[in-house]
Amino acid sequence: MSIEISGLTKYYGATRAVDGISLTLSDEVQVLVLIGPSGGGKSTLLRLLGGLEIPTAGSITMNGTALPDTEEGLREFRRRNGFLFQSFNLFPHLSALENIVLPLVKVHEWSRNKAIERAGEVVARFGMADHVKKMPAELSGGQQQRIALARAMAHGPDLLLLDEPTSALDPEMKAEVLDIVAELCEAGQRIILSTHEMGFARGCADEVIFLGNGQLVESGRGAALFDSPQTELVRTFLGRVMKW
Amino acid sequence: MKLAVSILVSVILAATFCFVIWVVATHEYRWAAIAPYRWNLLSGWWVTLQISAASLVGSVAVGVLLTAGQLSGHAIPSFLCRVFVEVIRGTPLLTQILIGYYLIANSIGWDSRFGVGLVILSCFSGAYLSEIFRGGVESIPKSQWLSALAIGFTGAQTYRYVVIPQAIRRVLPASAGQFANLIKDSSLLFVISMHEFTMQAREANSNTYATFEAYLPLVLGYFLLTFPISLLSRHLENRFRYEH
Repeated sequence: MSIEISGLTKYYGATRAVDGISLTLSDEVQVLVLIGPSGGGKSTLLRLLGGLEIPTAGSITMNGTALPDTEEGLREFRRRNGFLFQSFNLFPHLSALENIVLPLVKVHEWSRNKAIERAGEVVARFGMADHVKKMPAELSGGQQQRIALARAMAHGPDLLLLDEPTSALDPEMKAEVLDIVAELCEAGQRIILSTHEMGFARGCADEVIFLGNGQLVESGRGAALFDSPQTELVRTFLGRVMKW
Repeated sequence: MKLAVSILVSVILAATFCFVIWVVATHEYRWAAIAPYRWNLLSGWWVTLQISAASLVGSVAVGVLLTAGQLSGHAIPSFLCRVFVEVIRGTPLLTQILIGYYLIANSIGWDSRFGVGLVILSCFSGAYLSEIFRGGVESIPKSQWLSALAIGFTGAQTYRYVVIPQAIRRVLPASAGQFANLIKDSSLLFVISMHEFTMQAREANSNTYATFEAYLPLVLGYFLLTFPISLLSRHLENRFRYEH
């Protein structure tokens, strides 16, 4: 995906969550990973890129088209993408299957039969076929996240945005989810992902950017940022998170 | 400890209950004095049932409108609804009925006691319901709204498929309480000479001086109206239950 970000800024009151980020990514970048300390601006940047927030200043251009600035335009944009949250955010009053089917029917205007068939394929691929009748409260965290991922993937999104998809999970469940994300990366899905899983980031990323205090501190191709960090901030951060 | 407390509470409640029943049951009643008024009481009960049922529907409509107005995000309707709710909740129903019937309805030449009573009770109870509904909608976590936004739902779809189904269960118990209040509050319509249940008991009493005999039927009569609402609310709560 080619992405051009210039002077991107987002304030929440006096807090500068994203503070003047500029970045150009070429079409060869299929997987972009955002790393950095909590509160550094990863989630906000991801939400801006996903059209969930409107920037205070600056612009984003994706594949040659600027992100729309009207609510209708943004909604169309969001519909083409898939978004996954740290805390799953499944709809608790709907079964796992309905969580996937409802958006297909109501947003993408598929027939119910086609939607159910498609949901069946996706959950089977994610190893969740036996759990579709269950309510979210009956599923483990890893299972909920896999259903949430199925929901984000079912309509065949242009771009998948994952906001720390494994941060709320224990190690075993992390692996369940990361296996699937890795598989999606290999299958050619375009992904922007924020994560604290450095090993995973290093293995999957075409491009890694490090955010701190809302600013772009450093960016690098693939494993380069991990192998030879250029700034003290990144060196210290990686030293700390890789230590244990 | 827990067992001791529950035994103590049970004993106190049971003893109080038995005492009340005994006192009420052993009183010497003059049922013969009140007997000629039985059909009046029954017709009063029927009027109360009608006005309550109609106002119940009316108050839900008013409540939904006021909630929608307050949550609309537009400053003027939101402010006006807020003022309406505060004025209605902060002033006596008795005064509202007097002003509504003798001043407002009279000035536009509307003389239906039932109609005016219906409108006033609906506004009064609707104001309380709107606060219950608003609380229900606002109790739905931000993450659910964000998730609906990311999926590409419109605002209306978000309410229809995500927020309202979850909010209904949360507002049911408080709404049932408000409906019971509404039924009992309808007794204040005596000030505009509506011959409802309490009014009939009042008349029977003033003609016979058989106070307890005139008013005791109210206990049974009102309970027959409020208890089914309580049962229905419990039934619906179970139906809308989604956590297991």
